[in-house]
Amino acid sequence: MEQYLTQPLSLQTFIIFFASAVALLLLVLGFVTYAIYFERKVIGWMQARIGPNRVGPLGLLQTVADVLKLLLKEDTIPKKADKPLFLIAPIIAFVPSFAVLAVIPFTDKLHFADLGVGLLYYLAISSISTIGVLVGGWASNNKYALIGGMRSAAQMISYEIPLVMSVIGVILITGSLNLIDIVERQREIGMWFIIPQFLGFIIFLIASISELNRTPFDLPEAESELVAGYHVEYSGFRFAFYMLAEYVYVFAMSALTTVLFLGGWLPPFEFLSFIPGIVWFILKFSAVVFFLFWVRATMPRIRVDQLMSLGWKVLLPLALVNIFITAVVKEFIA
Amino acid sequence: MLGFAKGLAYTFKQMTQPKVTTRYPDEEIEMPDRFRGIQHFDPEKCIVCNQCARICPTDCIQLTGKPHPDPDKKGKVINTYDINFEICILCDLCTEVCPTEAIVMTNNFELATYSRDELFKDMNWLNENNTNVRKENSKNLQGGKKK
Amino acid sequence: MSTVRTEEMLLNVGPQHPSTHGVFRLVVKIDGETITEAKPVIGYLHRGTEKLAEDLNYTQIIPYTDRMDYLSAMTNNYVIVHAVETMMGLEIPEKAEYLRVIAMELNRVASHLVWFGTYLLDIGAMSPFLYAFREREQILNLFNELCGARLTYNYMRVGGVKWDAPEGWIDKVRDFIPYMREQLEGYHQLVTGNEIFINRVKGIGQYDAQTAINYGLSGVNLRCTGVKYDIRKDQPYSIYDRFDFDVPVATEGDCLSKYYLRMEEIRQSLRILEQAVEQFPKEGEIMAKVPRVLRTPPGETYVRIEAPRGELGCYISSKGKDKPWRLKFRRPSFVNLQILPELLVGENIANLIAILGGIDIVLGEVDC
Repeated sequence: MEQYLTQPLSLQTFIIFFASAVALLLLVLGFVTYAIYFERKVIGWMQARIGPNRVGPLGLLQTVADVLKLLLKEDTIPKKADKPLFLIAPIIAFVPSFAVLAVIPFTDKLHFADLGVGLLYYLAISSISTIGVLVGGWASNNKYALIGGMRSAAQMISYEIPLVMSVIGVILITGSLNLIDIVERQREIGMWFIIPQFLGFIIFLIASISELNRTPFDLPEAESELVAGYHVEYSGFRFAFYMLAEYVYVFAMSALTTVLFLGGWLPPFEFLSFIPGIVWFILKFSAVVFFLFWVRATMPRIRVDQLMSLGWKVLLPLALVNIFITAVVKEFIA
Repeated sequence: MLGFAKGLAYTFKQMTQPKVTTRYPDEEIEMPDRFRGIQHFDPEKCIVCNQCARICPTDCIQLTGKPHPDPDKKGKVINTYDINFEICILCDLCTEVCPTEAIVMTNNFELATYSRDELFKDMNWLNENNTNVRKENSKNLQGGKKK
Repeated sequence: MSTVRTEEMLLNVGPQHPSTHGVFRLVVKIDGETITEAKPVIGYLHRGTEKLAEDLNYTQIIPYTDRMDYLSAMTNNYVIVHAVETMMGLEIPEKAEYLRVIAMELNRVASHLVWFGTYLLDIGAMSPFLYAFREREQILNLFNELCGARLTYNYMRVGGVKWDAPEGWIDKVRDFIPYMREQLEGYHQLVTGNEIFINRVKGIGQYDAQTAINYGLSGVNLRCTGVKYDIRKDQPYSIYDRFDFDVPVATEGDCLSKYYLRMEEIRQSLRILEQAVEQFPKEGEIMAKVPRVLRTPPGETYVRIEAPRGELGCYISSKGKDKPWRLKFRRPSFVNLQILPELLVGENIANLIAILGGIDIVLGEVDC
């Protein structure tokens, strides 16, 4: 991929770019389909149920049927809604979620853009989605949607900061924002960053769950309070877009966690290196995704004011402490 | 943090616990004998005493009798017997008062239809609803309440 | 510098809303997310049970009471038959009393389980709901075997109960008690220590004993303020004076203490069940000798019992007919709900759900 990126754009390279983007999109759609299936199964098992099992063998086609239903549904637009904004909001929410995938390295060979500022790119682009959510909540002209949109804006901006702060430790140790360099550095020092950066990992995990709007931080769509939050007025494929954005972010955030703290495609022990890196990546990635589902099956929802004080009064100072300790230790060792 | 960990351990443990979901539409649910389902009506036993229609709290039973076809015999025989399942609450009082057990409960409970009109059940339908009839019939009450 | 114009927002919570537990509507004025005024609107489920009862004889009223507090129909059944029995001065056979107590206590456990599940669902955790319903299912199956219905039991009759316990039923109840205790431990492991849960409900919706008494609250809503008042103890009806159990009391008066009390009440109910199953007489009648047509002597009566939600009362005014001249139910949910507008002012939307859930209303009973 790299050699193509450095060449001037021609029809041939464009076709290759386009084809690989479509391939990635299909991969991600496949992931989303089965992440939803897997989520429902896992939560079902944890709740003494069996989860979907009617459509297709073992219910494997359940999500396909659900998506088909969503696509066939009428695309209702409330009469008093701000129409252009209402129509564009789901797209604003979805596009960044797909764009961030460009910098995720799956193995040292299999990756797309190899940006020097990969991590920064990820964090910057992903915050655009907030606008989609906020705009959707505002344009619906529904009170629940408005509160949901406002909550989501407040929450995502507050948690962006500890999220960025928590990875600075990793950046300090690596000396680079490039995601491939970060994994390579973990190979060099012989351990995954989860060990030297444990505090950073915990902060990152909490902040990332919050960024994903998942339980226990699912306040923007808090079902029992705001009915469905910002997407309460959406139906059909526009609703599907929000859904899709949410699960693509699950994909992206899990991949990022794997790369930053769990050593990406590196095997846990050197003698296991005969197993291809992509297998290790998928295993670690699945473990992170499973953890997200597991937390969802266990936790109640945090309250909105406590959410803010957790972000600003606990996570942010801790992240600063983490940066400080990392810097001191790095200086000391060097 | 300990509370989180304990909770996570609990939900994880539940993954191996037996599942309680039933395969209901595929497999029938066995109801216990006393279950109060749709009534079965036996016109031969009915003596047109009208007790069921009188005890019914929602007035969903309508019946008419006619003179016995055999002129030598006294009494009446049932002519029409309708239960309106739109308002029947399956409270079991009609079967409780029936002196001849002409009306009894069954274990059938599937009443969903596409039209409300179909919920109006007549004597023939109730007579043909003769599967899973309840075996134990309010015997306990007969000593105290009836006669 | 120009000031930004802000305005209050009028938010209709319900009648179709996932957390109003039925068809309850709450008109709240909110400033941001802070509630400045709340007005409950009830009556969407009103069926006129009390008026209908004036045209029904006493046996016919029983199935109607099933539909008031549909989560604990046994206690509703009991309050109406208890009122009629008190008026007629009937002596109830021993065995029938035990069956009634077992049924009522099982129903109390089932009712508190539903509260536990739905409350946690309101707070945002979905698993406890499924666990609570798994255990409740066992109780409903027991009821199904006992009286042929899972929710609308119509089990009690004036003078006794409709059915004797089927064979092996008492043993099933006996087996259920340790099972439920074990599950209760699991609930404490899952929920009670959870920091998010505690932070969500601690100190929320607090009121003191005097306020609670002024509003006429009863049940857990009263006991959480430190008033030790349980009709089963203070004015024993049926055969509750034969059992050894405690009345749990808390002093905080917030949602967390209500949670603790309800969980503790499940344990106490299991204790009563254990003793009742032990003492259960094998032989005996289940119906007293009652006349064919039930006629209450002229006069009036008020009886009250401890339902899972509080003091459930039944007032009958009779003119000597087989139908009541006037019937009135004192429904605990209806009375307990009255404190809601006062509690809500100054809270935010998330607390609204926690406070409303903590009161534990059943709309069938509120609207009656």
